[in-house]
Amino acid sequence: MVPVDSPFYRYHPVTRLVLLVFLSVTPLFVDMPEINLGLILAALVLLRWGRVRMQQIRRYLPLLATVALFMFGVAFLAPGDRAHLAAFRLAGLTFYFQPMWWAFVSYCRLVAMLFGAILYFSTNRERDTLVALRSLRIPFAVSYVAALSLRSAGMFMEDFRTIREAEQARGLDLESMSVGEKAKLYTMYTVPLFAVALRRADEISNALFARGYTLSGRPAGGGPRTDYLRRRYPVERRDRALSAGLAAAFVVAVVLGKVMGVFSDQLSPLHGAALRTIGLR
Amino acid sequence: MNPAVEVDRLSWTYHLAARPAVCDISLTIPAGEFTLIAGPNEAGKTTLAMAIKGLIPHSFPGRRAGVVRVFGEEVQRKEAALLAKQVGYVFSDPEAQFTSLTVEEEILFGLENIGVPESEIEHRIRRASELTMISDLLDKPPYDISGGQKQRVAIASVLAMDPEILILDEPTSMVDPLGKDLIVEICAELRRRRRLTLIVIEHNLEAFAALADRIVLIRGGRIERAAAPREFLEDPEFLERSGVYPPQVTQVFARLRAHGLYRGPLPLTDEEGIRAGDALLRGAGA
Repeated sequence: MVPVDSPFYRYHPVTRLVLLVFLSVTPLFVDMPEINLGLILAALVLLRWGRVRMQQIRRYLPLLATVALFMFGVAFLAPGDRAHLAAFRLAGLTFYFQPMWWAFVSYCRLVAMLFGAILYFSTNRERDTLVALRSLRIPFAVSYVAALSLRSAGMFMEDFRTIREAEQARGLDLESMSVGEKAKLYTMYTVPLFAVALRRADEISNALFARGYTLSGRPAGGGPRTDYLRRRYPVERRDRALSAGLAAAFVVAVVLGKVMGVFSDQLSPLHGAALRTIGLR
Repeated sequence: MNPAVEVDRLSWTYHLAARPAVCDISLTIPAGEFTLIAGPNEAGKTTLAMAIKGLIPHSFPGRRAGVVRVFGEEVQRKEAALLAKQVGYVFSDPEAQFTSLTVEEEILFGLENIGVPESEIEHRIRRASELTMISDLLDKPPYDISGGQKQRVAIASVLAMDPEILILDEPTSMVDPLGKDLIVEICAELRRRRRLTLIVIEHNLEAFAALADRIVLIRGGRIERAAAPREFLEDPEFLERSGVYPPQVTQVFARLRAHGLYRGPLPLTDEEGIRAGDALLRGAGA
């Protein structure tokens, strides 16, 4: 659900796509958690500025918690070669600093990337993505398949809901089922969902033929394809300035992170503070 | 001048099917005619329509005999985009034809495919959406609106392409009574405004019988009857046995006639029924 009105809409879809790339790809080149935490904060500020209902963001909390549980759980249960690891005790349990620290560094990176994507999908309609791809001169077939994929994700969820509601209408009580039973049930859903997906693919293929679509995207009689939708989104000076600024910042981040090692986790003030806190320094 | 559609001894058997869906069908539809194709389920109506549109044999595997021509040219030899320009097809399940994320893009998609210039696109979208009464839905996702609205969006997206032939496959089958009336109103408006060759497939004749120039009955893959509506509906009992339902007013007067209470022509619309009933009560029709 995107806001009805948002300051983001003043910017061209390509500019918004560049922002997504900046916020979601930059963390790959940054180990220092402070920078990634800063990117998360920036994404939150932009969400607020973009008039996204912050309650909407709460939906992602279970995902964030599950990822954290998994990553820190692995670092605790399978810490690796213990002979070289610094151990510390907390609440009566033994932890190893390096795997826990690396789990924290990776978690900050992952969450920063995730928030970049959340910001993009909370402030862009499917049409914006389509316009952005077309503006970048991506072949029509590719941009069209991307749009169909976005649409099919919604249809898949709708079909899933329909099947589940039909079962509940016939007396299925999900509340009383154990996790194992639910897992088995969800596995069984794949059969009707797969059948529906095949039927839909067939229908869409017929619809494309009926509306004169060809794989090349070229219209009848040849010539370039008209692109009415793209022409309705003019690129302004501010789009050029912001895109150039973000692209430059991205390049600087890559150079500083990967070439000069400025964003190493070992240089992180948090790293030193954590070691001091648990008495390892 | 070539007729709009010429079906010459067409037979079609779907891949792995035991018997043909249509068998030795010949039918000529002049340009500008409103043809209503009626018949029970599995009669071969949609197969015939898909053959006129070119979906058969382009998109379906099977065995074919005979020829289908549109404006004198064999359908099989035409490119998809050229066929789309000439023949518009609205599927019975409107959602099955939606390929875009908003109603406006849905209408736009076909226009870009057939190479309509950008300067003309806005006008075409406005005209089609006004005619089908969906101007307020342009920004909405097409799969997130009511059944009747979906059907009107499907019609608009085809109408915007300005086809010379428009095929509507059971356009009222998935809509509520109000939505059904709107679809009929759109077809009536199309008849008034443009000389469009209109082919409507329906097994309930109530809505379209009075609008059509000719009704064709298909059963078991063959044409059983083809005549002007009044002549076609002369024997409602035969039609009911064939799985086709004449308008209720026609059925009522057919029964009165069977009991010797009425001798006039069978009415096709409620208005005609009121006039015939009035005459009957005054003793003129009996």
